[in-house]
Order: sequence, then C-alpha cells, then structure tokens
Amino acid sequence: MEMIGHGGKPLVEQVITDKDEARKMIKDLKTMPVSRQMATEAIGIAYGFFSPIEGFMKKADVEATCKKMELADGTVWSIPIVYDISDQEIADYKIQQGDKVLLTYDGNPLAIFDIEEIYTYDKESIAQDVYGTKEDKHPGVKRTYAYKDKFLGGKITLVNEPKIREPYTSYFLTPRQHRELFGKKGWQRIVAHQTRNVPHSGHEWLMKHAYIAAHGDLPVEQQETLEGRAISGVLVNCIVGEKRTGDYIDEAIVLCQDELRKSGYFRNDIHMVTMTFWDMRYAGPREAVHHAIIRTNLGLTHHMFGRDHAGVGTYYHSYQAHHLLMSIPKEKLNITPIYVLEWAYCPHCGEVTCVGLCGHHKELQKFSGTKIRSIIMDEVKPTRLIFRPEVFDVVMECSKKYGYGSPFVTTQYLEQAKPAFSIEPL
Amino acid sequence: MAETFPINIWINEERFNALKNAGLAELLKEELAGMKVLIVPCTASQRDKVLELYPMAKFDAATTKSIELLPKAVKDKIYDMVVAKKSLEVMDDFIKSV
Repeated sequence: MEMIGHGGKPLVEQVITDKDEARKMIKDLKTMPVSRQMATEAIGIAYGFFSPIEGFMKKADVEATCKKMELADGTVWSIPIVYDISDQEIADYKIQQGDKVLLTYDGNPLAIFDIEEIYTYDKESIAQDVYGTKEDKHPGVKRTYAYKDKFLGGKITLVNEPKIREPYTSYFLTPRQHRELFGKKGWQRIVAHQTRNVPHSGHEWLMKHAYIAAHGDLPVEQQETLEGRAISGVLVNCIVGEKRTGDYIDEAIVLCQDELRKSGYFRNDIHMVTMTFWDMRYAGPREAVHHAIIRTNLGLTHHMFGRDHAGVGTYYHSYQAHHLLMSIPKEKLNITPIYVLEWAYCPHCGEVTCVGLCGHHKELQKFSGTKIRSIIMDEVKPTRLIFRPEVFDVVMECSKKYGYGSPFVTTQYLEQAKPAFSIEPL
Repeated sequence: MAETFPINIWINEERFNALKNAGLAELLKEELAGMKVLIVPCTASQRDKVLELYPMAKFDAATTKSIELLPKAVKDKIYDMVVAKKSLEVMDDFIKSV
C-alpha cells in the first residue's frame, strides 16, 4: 500500500533489501567513505524520514529552502540537507557530475549516491537565512561554516541497512514501520513529543497536556476506557545524533523516556518511545518546522510544540517556533501543531501546573532542564513531584552502564562511546 | 542594586542536617517541591570569570539566569567556603583560590 508523506507525496523508500541485488548494483562502482554525520543523513533520506526529498539537495532546493522555506517545487522545507565535500576529495575520488558512487561507512557499503550536481553555495547566506544569525557561537552556524568547499546533490539508495546496537535496537523504526505499528495498535490520533532530554515532570505534563488536546473533541465513548483499547497515543520520538558536552547521553534519554510508561505514569497502550537519527541544528523555529515534517512522515497526526522549541541561547524568542508554524497554510503541513505553555511547580497549589492556569504567578517555580541537570550532577535525588524516582534510578544506571560514570556527555563519552548504529559487511 | 547571577548548590539530607546544626539553615532556600538549595550570588564579572575557568559550565540565559553544570568538586569547594565563612559572599575568595 502506498503511504503518503509530507507534502502529500508518496513516502520515499529507497532501500535495497535483497543482498544479492545490492551486491550486483554496487559492483564496479567507485567508493567514497562518509562520516557518521553523512551516513546518518543518507540513512534518514533512504528510509523516508525526510520525504519527499530523495537525496542530498541540489542547488535549486537549497536556494528555495533558504530564501522561501520551500523546496524548488513549492513543498514546505526549512533546513538544507546537504552533502559537503572538499576540492581535494573531489580530485582524490575523481568525482564528476553524472557519477554513481558507492558511499561506505566503516569500510562497508552503505548507499549508492547518484551525483547529479556539484555546486557551491554561500555559507554565510545559509547561516543568516536558516539560523537568523551569522554568529559562529550558534552551533548550527558553526556546523554550516565547517562545510567543505562544495556540495554534491543527487539521489541516495541504501544498499546495506544499518545494524542498530543495544539498547537502541527496539526503539529504531523506519517511517513505514511506525505506520504499521500504529495500525496494529489502532491509533488514529497520535501526538509527537520531540525530545533530546531525560524527562522531568514538566515534560511529562507537556505530553499529558498535548495528549488531551489531541483527542479532546472526541466523544468520551471513543476515548479509551479500557486498557488496550486506545485510539490515540503519545509518541516520544527521541533525537539521537551529534552530542555536545553537558547533554544527556542518548542511552539515558531513550531508556528514561520509556521508563515513564514502564512505571505507569502513562498507560502501556497510549505511550510509545522511538528514535530518529538527526543531528540537532538548534535552528529554533525552522527546526520546529523540520520536526513537524519528520513526524508527518512517521505517520503522526499531531505535534506538540512547547517553549523554546529546538532553540539555543537567546537566539530565538520563547514562542517564535509557534509563530512560524502558524504562518504556514494548513494545507501545506499535514500535521496539526499543538501549542503548549510551560508547566511549573506551584508551592501554593502543591503541584505541577500550567503557567496559563495558575493564579500564583509570583510563587511559581519554573522548570529548567539545565537546573534539573545541575541537581543530578550534584548527586541529589530530586523530589518525586519534580522528577520521577524510577526515572532517576534509570539515569543513574545509564551513567554507570553507558556514560563512564556520568549521565551527561563528557569528552570521554564523545571519544569512546559507540555510535548507535554500525554498517556490517554486505 | 546590580543584578546577580546565582550558582545553585543543591543540598542533600546529610548536608542539610550539617547546616542546621551549624546554625546556617537560614542560608538555604526551598525550590522545586521542597528541595533545599544554597543560592550563591555572582556579579556579572564573577559570572564571566567562572564561565571562563570552567568551560563545561553553562549560563542559563533563557530561563533561570543561573550558572549551571559546574562540576560537583567545584561546587563542593564553594559549599565548604560558604560554611567556613558563614556567608554566601564567597565568590571573590573562590576565584582567587583557583
């Protein structure tokens, strides 16, 4: 059955699953090794996470993305997906427009790259258009300035599927697999919670708020009443990718999010955790649009957007992402945004509450992810209203098991932790 | 009065009892559903110096305006200075000691 993705176009799936066919296809192709960064994006393209794009972008798409937040064909698109290469590499690998090249990762075949275009593009222009700043303190801008001399554009076909390592194995689903699973569960309305964090109670309440908002207009008879009969759900889709020191380690993010369900803070039949490979660009509002596109491709119907979505520092206003999403015509984004205010602890109410509901404004104690990380770093167990004790235990376990003694990314973690996937010999 | 930027030192039960016994419990504040915290103020220049000395630390400019993610050993040292001086005004001494 054809599946429809972002822009009302068929979901892209360019994956050769027959190994014999794959071996035939790559025979005699020249090879070019790729970084983890490029391998991740090639995998994302081939499985359709970035539908409708079928490959690394050509110049017309980059230009339209930067200037108009669209692909060249008018489909909404907010962040360039580009393959950068140095002049030296072009010479070393004898790359020419029209070539078909085998991309390799860790020495093994990964994907066929049909190089349709070799081009240049002004990096400062990308920075200003996508990130709204040219300051290299912004991590997305820094990444942009690190792009090499030229870009290659063209179609990607995965010839060797990634092997996902533990503890991620059961959390990685392709867009098709997401949709098939939703079908089995009978979920008709599914709201995305985008995360790169271990959840504190503020996050938990954002999810609950979004869940209720996503199906609040249904008659109660259609809302789930018995375990196992849910027709709507929350999908926590963790972003797994490039890390910065001080971030939570990815293992802790995925396992702690799942712990909320395992410990009963969400029912088994309404909550699910998966992951998407993506290097955060911290592009704030434009990244929010990109997240909406990815989750549309996963088959979700709703997407929750909170305060400072995908932002960094003070580059974007708290709710700038909401405003950009609101400016996009409904027919151009096939997912319904749910805009939520932040939740905070009110000592007067003695509970976590939405700042838009509570009248004790001066008493509210706001959650801050950084502050919670600080509490954990101080090795103090937070109160259960703020951070679930079962989640805290999982954070500490992950610290020992995966984080070299820290639940946060350290230099040692960056140097020694294994990537979430590997590419095996074909 | 010039704006200050806090370093939050979160206090476990053991330290809370120690501070109480030393008559220093009034230095503590309660946050986030009863958690105890020592809020050590920094001036803008002290904040910048601390961030320069400890690049892994972050200034939460968006939400709390506080200096976060300082290594535990650093915070332990600041805590010890607060207890020894019986005052939260320790940051000049701390910076000099590094």
